[in-house]
Amino acid sequence: MKLPLILFLVAAAVPVFFGKIRSAPFWLAVQAVALGWASAAQHGEWSGHALAALVEVLAVRAVIAPRLLRRAIRGRGEPNLDLMPSNLFAWAIAIALLVLAFEFGAPEMSDRPALALGAVGATVAVALLLLAANDSPPAQLVAVLFMENAIALFESLLSEPWPLPVHLALSAIYLLTVGVGAWLIGRPETPVTVTPAARVVEEGGRS
Amino acid sequence: MSAASTAALAPASALPVRVPWAGPVLVGFALSAFIATVALFVRTPLSQMPLYFAQRYFVLDATSMLFLLVINSVFLGISVYMSSLARRSPALAPKMKPRTALTLAFMVAMNLGVMANHLLLLWAFIELTTVCAAPLVAQGESLQPRRVAWHYLLYSSMSLALTFLGIMCLTRSAHLQGIGMEFAFDEMAMAVPSSGDGWQRLGLALMLFGLGSKLGLAPLYSWLPETYEAAPTSTSALLAAVQFNISVVAVLRVLQVFRGQDTGFVLHELLVMGCLSLMIAAVQVMAARNYKRLIAYACVSSSGVIAIGLSVGKAAAYGVLLYVVSAAFVKALLFLTAGRVRSVYRTNETKALAGVIRVLPFSGSLFAVGTFALLGFPPFGSFMAEMLILSGIVQVGNLIAFTLMCTMLTIIFVATGRAIFPMIWGEPEQHRPPVREGWLTAVPKLGFVTVLALLGVYTPEPIAQLLSQVARSIGGQ
Repeated sequence: MKLPLILFLVAAAVPVFFGKIRSAPFWLAVQAVALGWASAAQHGEWSGHALAALVEVLAVRAVIAPRLLRRAIRGRGEPNLDLMPSNLFAWAIAIALLVLAFEFGAPEMSDRPALALGAVGATVAVALLLLAANDSPPAQLVAVLFMENAIALFESLLSEPWPLPVHLALSAIYLLTVGVGAWLIGRPETPVTVTPAARVVEEGGRS
Repeated sequence: MSAASTAALAPASALPVRVPWAGPVLVGFALSAFIATVALFVRTPLSQMPLYFAQRYFVLDATSMLFLLVINSVFLGISVYMSSLARRSPALAPKMKPRTALTLAFMVAMNLGVMANHLLLLWAFIELTTVCAAPLVAQGESLQPRRVAWHYLLYSSMSLALTFLGIMCLTRSAHLQGIGMEFAFDEMAMAVPSSGDGWQRLGLALMLFGLGSKLGLAPLYSWLPETYEAAPTSTSALLAAVQFNISVVAVLRVLQVFRGQDTGFVLHELLVMGCLSLMIAAVQVMAARNYKRLIAYACVSSSGVIAIGLSVGKAAAYGVLLYVVSAAFVKALLFLTAGRVRSVYRTNETKALAGVIRVLPFSGSLFAVGTFALLGFPPFGSFMAEMLILSGIVQVGNLIAFTLMCTMLTIIFVATGRAIFPMIWGEPEQHRPPVREGWLTAVPKLGFVTVLALLGVYTPEPIAQLLSQVARSIGGQ
């Protein structure tokens, strides 16, 4: 159970320090593989529920979402910049947040929940830092997806896996968030010009 | 094909395809949902509630019943407005299919979310309503509607992530006390340990902070005015008068679960967020010269009043619920009337609309009535609700909150009046002929006014009992 958590943590922390915006879909896919691994380990025995959860994680989070994100990033045609602007100040804050996240999970708990809580806390913290440090919409979407993956990892803290309806609801939300988000940011926006006549009919028209 | 025939066909093919079924489908759905909710309310005595169904993932109790009634009543009015748009607006035709589908998905998620008996499902349904609403916001007429819609989605995801962090802290608190965390509200209420620790307080604080952002409470409120102003007016009405309520339900559920605990810390948090929201709304309303933005900041102020009322607890609980119900109808009335005004004047600037009552007598009058209801004038429900909240604050002896709320509401009253009254009754810069207004769009707005007046003058006994039961569930008298 430790290995998938470590893999997830690496996939969350490395891109923040070294990743470019176009490599973000790859790191999201790695996070999803780690999530699937953690989910399979948590279920223990193979059952319909375990299989459905694994397929859902891999299909939605490792394949579909990264593809949609990649398409949105390409559609905007922006330069391939750092995911988080590289400067010593941002790095110092990121390292401090990672340490704090593990301090948050460390005391009074056994190894596995402490590591899981640390991984969830660290991912949420770096996602918030990413939002604070980078105002480009693709980077913001990446931060949101990091947070959604952290929420999915939260399941590994529980003694019982979530019931299937909750799994399905969270996956649907994830897929819709990345779909709608990618659609909204997927091309550089040109200001809308509305002719007065069009506006009249848009809002109900003259009676 | 000859050049002449091609030329003759060209304008025809350029015409947008009308979607004649969109309006009737919307109204049909809204009417069915309204009738079903009313029938459920009439046929299910309050004493038989709560009723669980779908493996206890959903519940019909006083809280869900009250908010089902509110959202489906308000949506009936909004659907009639949208239907009239679909009927009259050829330019809207290409957007009508996705708009109808998204609105219906939004309402299904709203209805299920209000009835959710599982914390994570409720969380998912709130997010789902946001995901459905974001493309609707992107159909607005601001300079960069997609950017505004993206900000709306981003803020929402952020605030719900904060809420989730709160859930995580609650889980950790339960874990440290050797208790398995349950996410069904009824089981959660029984499982929560009576001695709350720091993790529990932090979890509650984060949850209310995140949900407060969805309500438009300061400090994470800035998405609200931007979104309400940029979205099409029917979408602004959906967000302000319908979606707002699912976040209120979430806050009420949290308060219901932790009713027996030491919640003093989070009640102070609500009080601070409420007062801050009122102060920000007061300053921004003074500066606003745009009536849609003004309504949006009025929504921030009403969220502030609700937060202050909830922080007071038992003495003001009934007043808060009456205020929430009234606010839903007031916001729907104002936004739908604003849409009508905008369609004629083609601007959101208050100055350009001087003397609107002469050009649009009916809409101008309704805008005035809506403004009076918004400002808490008698005989509307909001007046009664504000009085009950203020009396609750006095009862608990929090005179600082009382003074602050009175001062801020007075400033908002004066600033709103200074902007809106010249717009309605002022002398126009150029004279326009009066515009005839259709009865179809008038009916729902008149319905809203009737409900608002009834809530203030005579609340029917079954509704009063329902409000009382919900108030008691959050510790009210």
